Amino acid sequence: MRPRQLVSLVAFKTYAELRAEASRYFLSIFWWVLDPILSMMVYYLVFGLLMQRGGPDFIPFLLVGIVVWQWFERSALHGMASINGNGALMNLIQIPKLFFPAVTTAVDTVKFAIVFSLLLLFVWGWGYPPSMAYLALPLLMLLELALLAGLALLLAAAMPLFPDLKYLAEVSLRLGFFGSGILFSASMVPAAYQDLYRLNPMVNLIQAYRDVLIHGVWPQWAGLTGVVLAALLLLGAGLTLLRRFEYDYPRLLSR
Amino acid sequence: MSFDQSQAPVLSLRNVRVTYRRPSPLGRRSSHTALADVSFDLYHGESLAVIGRNGAGKSTLLKLLGGILRPDSGRLYSTGARAALLAHQVGFDPQLTGRDNIVLSALLLGFSRAEIARQMDGIIAFAELGDFIDQPLGTYSLGMRARLGFAVSSRLEPEILLIDEALGVGDAAFQAKSSKLIEDRLKSDKTVVLVTHSIPAVRRLCNRAVWIEDGVTRMEDDVEPVLAAYMDAYGVKNPPSR
Repeated sequence: MRPRQLVSLVAFKTYAELRAEASRYFLSIFWWVLDPILSMMVYYLVFGLLMQRGGPDFIPFLLVGIVVWQWFERSALHGMASINGNGALMNLIQIPKLFFPAVTTAVDTVKFAIVFSLLLLFVWGWGYPPSMAYLALPLLMLLELALLAGLALLLAAAMPLFPDLKYLAEVSLRLGFFGSGILFSASMVPAAYQDLYRLNPMVNLIQAYRDVLIHGVWPQWAGLTGVVLAALLLLGAGLTLLRRFEYDYPRLLSR
Repeated sequence: MSFDQSQAPVLSLRNVRVTYRRPSPLGRRSSHTALADVSFDLYHGESLAVIGRNGAGKSTLLKLLGGILRPDSGRLYSTGARAALLAHQVGFDPQLTGRDNIVLSALLLGFSRAEIARQMDGIIAFAELGDFIDQPLGTYSLGMRARLGFAVSSRLEPEILLIDEALGVGDAAFQAKSSKLIEDRLKSDKTVVLVTHSIPAVRRLCNRAVWIEDGVTRMEDDVEPVLAAYMDAYGVKNPPSR
């Protein structure tokens, strides 16, 4: 299949997936938006009210972290299941296996775009209007896209080979949620653990989004170079694995 | 029914082996050898029948020819001619309209958007769906779905067409229409590989036959000698299905 054919196939399948989901659940678009808000309320209740942590801007602080994280986490989980769940199709036609994680990533990215637009309006309404620093947003999103696409690709390629990966990945993502500075600021981590903590690329990414959206300042570029590196590593590993096992997946998933 | 056996074959299999393995890093690996040692040639313009009992490895063989699988050992020589399985309702989604399903399925089968736009009206007419074409596929009867599936897949014209088994396509009237289309294809000078259990179909439609048993080529020749040996081996007119 030529690259151009693959691109139009991914584009149409993405449209079809979103359309099918919207017709399955009447309120599905509403739920995409409501879901991060409900999550925010849970954590606000526990950490903001019961434990009296978080400070005055805890609500936008939480929302930015949750929305940014959800894009990452969903893309990783949906990507992981993408090749594994399409054994029947790949046994009927010869199709580049890259197609499957590309579609799930594209679908999650469209949903993120909708939710993120509303987040921008909310943050503005809360009292933080757009600033010059917003110019960094496309770059941050591109960086996060590269990172999550790399992870989705790697998990998609590895899952049919090691089905137990599912549990490992789910636990790791849970750790990632609590360890990416979503519920608390990275500066609250003791100095002794700071270097280790900053190895998590999502820590720097989430902080960068908050710097731009809430504090109106440019992100700290030094921390983001690590994100570029992580994204390139994941993309490289994912593509290598996918290419190596391209013709083995139909066999592994034939029944 | 013309084909030239003096020319080089479009596809050649030599001692091809395909084994299915289940991944299990901790336990024992389970494996199943679908093709152990298969060799034959496919010539331009011929209709080649692949016969053999259930479990002989015929479906795996078609996947190999279609480029879906690659052999573990042995060689598959190809002139680069595109081979594709005649697969119906590929990628169909019950939530989408008939029209969207046509686009999705045709894209998966390798058509460009421009080609699909050009063929759309013909596909809709062939499927005999009328206004239902803009309804979700989930509201269709099984017969309607089958008709739409065949209307799309029958547009596929790869250089080598791979057909698996009898095709249960739609109601009786439509069945005749779809069978005729496939028969026309088989009788034309297109290169076709047909996997079937039907001896009469092989006699009527194919020039040559390959007999495969337990993943091994038993015989490759003109239709009649292969059928005679095949039926002789099982001592019946209609060989048993396992």
